[in-house]
Amino acid sequence: MKKSYFKKAVALAGAAVFAIGLAGCAAEEEAAVTPTTDDTAVVAEDLTIAFVMGAESDPFFQAMKIGAEEEAAAQGVTLIWQGDPSNYSPETQIPIVDSVLAQQPDGLVLIPTDPTALQASVAKAVAAGIAVANVDTRVGDLTDVLTFITGDNEDGGAKAAEAIANAIGYTDGETYEVVIGLTSATATTNVSRKEGFEATIAASYPGIQIMDVAYSESNPEKASTNVNNWLTKYPNLDGIFAIDGTNASGAAAALQAKGLVGEVALVGYDAYPANVALIEAGVFTALIAQDPAAEARLAIQSLVEYLRNGTMPASAEVVIPNVTLDANTSAADLAKYTYVAN
Amino acid sequence: MSSSQQPNLRLERFKAVAGSQNSILLSVLIALAIIFTLAEPLFFSVATAGNILTDWGSIVLLAAGQTLVIISGGIDLSVGGTLAISGVTSAWMMTTILGFDITTTGPDAYPPLIVGGLTAVGTGLAVGLVNAFLINKLRIVPFVATLATMGATLGFAIIISNGMPIGGPNDFSLISPINPTWMPFSWAVVGVIIVVTTVGLFLHRSRFGLHTYAIGSNAFAARAAGINVERHLTKVYALAGALAGLAGFYVYLRLGAGSPSSGVMRELDAIAAVVIGGASLMGGVGRMMGTVIGALILFTVQSGLIMAGVAPDWKKVVVAVLIAAAVAAQTLRPQNRAR
Repeated sequence: MKKSYFKKAVALAGAAVFAIGLAGCAAEEEAAVTPTTDDTAVVAEDLTIAFVMGAESDPFFQAMKIGAEEEAAAQGVTLIWQGDPSNYSPETQIPIVDSVLAQQPDGLVLIPTDPTALQASVAKAVAAGIAVANVDTRVGDLTDVLTFITGDNEDGGAKAAEAIANAIGYTDGETYEVVIGLTSATATTNVSRKEGFEATIAASYPGIQIMDVAYSESNPEKASTNVNNWLTKYPNLDGIFAIDGTNASGAAAALQAKGLVGEVALVGYDAYPANVALIEAGVFTALIAQDPAAEARLAIQSLVEYLRNGTMPASAEVVIPNVTLDANTSAADLAKYTYVAN
Repeated sequence: MSSSQQPNLRLERFKAVAGSQNSILLSVLIALAIIFTLAEPLFFSVATAGNILTDWGSIVLLAAGQTLVIISGGIDLSVGGTLAISGVTSAWMMTTILGFDITTTGPDAYPPLIVGGLTAVGTGLAVGLVNAFLINKLRIVPFVATLATMGATLGFAIIISNGMPIGGPNDFSLISPINPTWMPFSWAVVGVIIVVTTVGLFLHRSRFGLHTYAIGSNAFAARAAGINVERHLTKVYALAGALAGLAGFYVYLRLGAGSPSSGVMRELDAIAAVVIGGASLMGGVGRMMGTVIGALILFTVQSGLIMAGVAPDWKKVVVAVLIAAAVAAQTLRPQNRAR
């Protein structure tokens, strides 16, 4: 009760601060991605694509922003990039979508923070003649949505299971102890990654036992605490699946502080630059990376082709595969998949 | 008893109450340790003590500053945000400005770490001074003033870091137990103990502390007695900010990175530690030792529940019940009820 009150209060205070910051930044950003008139000479009229994401503070969306800006510049369209600074929630997202729609963009790329709550916003956009694409997450009913582009979280979980099995040299008949660090019990990405991980373990590596799970609540220090306690409770721990960037950071720190680098296999998720650098040092056995920039590029490309030429995307749902980054990954690929921000 | 002995008697009684508050807290701590050891024998180990102390280090720094603020009759909601932004500016200084990266380890990392530590404390001090300005000059109540700086610090931490942890030079041995078989304290924790002891001495053995209690008990009377309340509160919030900055550096040492999300909700952990430790949110009451043990209780519960294999969904409920019980146990004692 008290916490949720505080959360709201924090959100309010944060929003107020950001409103001031955004007033400055927004003008700058639009200027940066608006093409010069020469580039768009061939186009009869300028297109404006609005992009409403989940939470600015998430590196995943920072990486997505790079892809969106690149593609907008390449296509010669104006990009409106918006979203809450730190709250991934429909309560903060719906008013942002409303204010963006009031600017009458030609297309809208929406990352719905809730499949049900954002359905009305999609209907509202389509009624106003605005084409809508979904990226990463989707609304429940995709009828009105031109295309839905996402990373495959279950596949990511499965790839993590493969990476752990390889690292511990899995052999049938032996038993192995593994734990999973999560951010929360309900985050949909966490849930599908965990399901993919568990399904692959059950199907291919029955000797691997999942001993425990714990939540970091988006705080890397808490993630580190969880791993510290696991290392004490399970002295023979073989592997850790850190399900997102926060858990990966915390687990990596705990292994380094306990001098257990290389003793316990650590498979993380999300290619934060700080974590990618730890692959080489051997702290991470592997990192499962998504390609948020590619998702954003494809979404803008599909919208622009539809708006300019009336071309429908080849497929209504596009799944962008995850990649496994490890010691064998080339430097060029590491650089390509690392989440970068401006 | 003659009336001339009255003040002495009062002092004795105050000491007795304070003393027994600490003994209640210690009993709770020992009881928890026994319960968790029964649930999981591995809990009773140097390794677990090391885990608990590692967690304790950052929160007790936040809570030490919070103790001063709460005794002065205020509240500081910005300490979590200050921790985050200080860790981030510290990492930014060591990497972007000084040009070091995560490949600098061991003693080679000490020179940049010293600069990083000073940057973190300086950042925290600056936030504390902003709090003092909002409270003293703009006359905003502490709850609202520090709520604003909490949002601002968490926001700027994201802006400076682009939302991602900034990895930098580090020596992880500073944050590891000095000897894993018999000495659970790390050098970083030893540093924290020295700092918290110093702040505790300031609170209980100096005029600074006396004035803090006086302002928290009755700011009007304190002003009438000639205490410069504004100037004193500036010192209190500045010190709380600097301690939160140091906590940000501690978390940097722990993670080897400045993370913008490392401060979220930490102010509530700090306030919980202070309140479990026996301080009153009305001001004028509280002891540093209570806060120190209060923070130990919080992290004993956290480690114990993980070690005992309690489903993580239940963790928050158990912690909430323990906080309520710890506080009720103190306020319902006859001496406290009479006051």
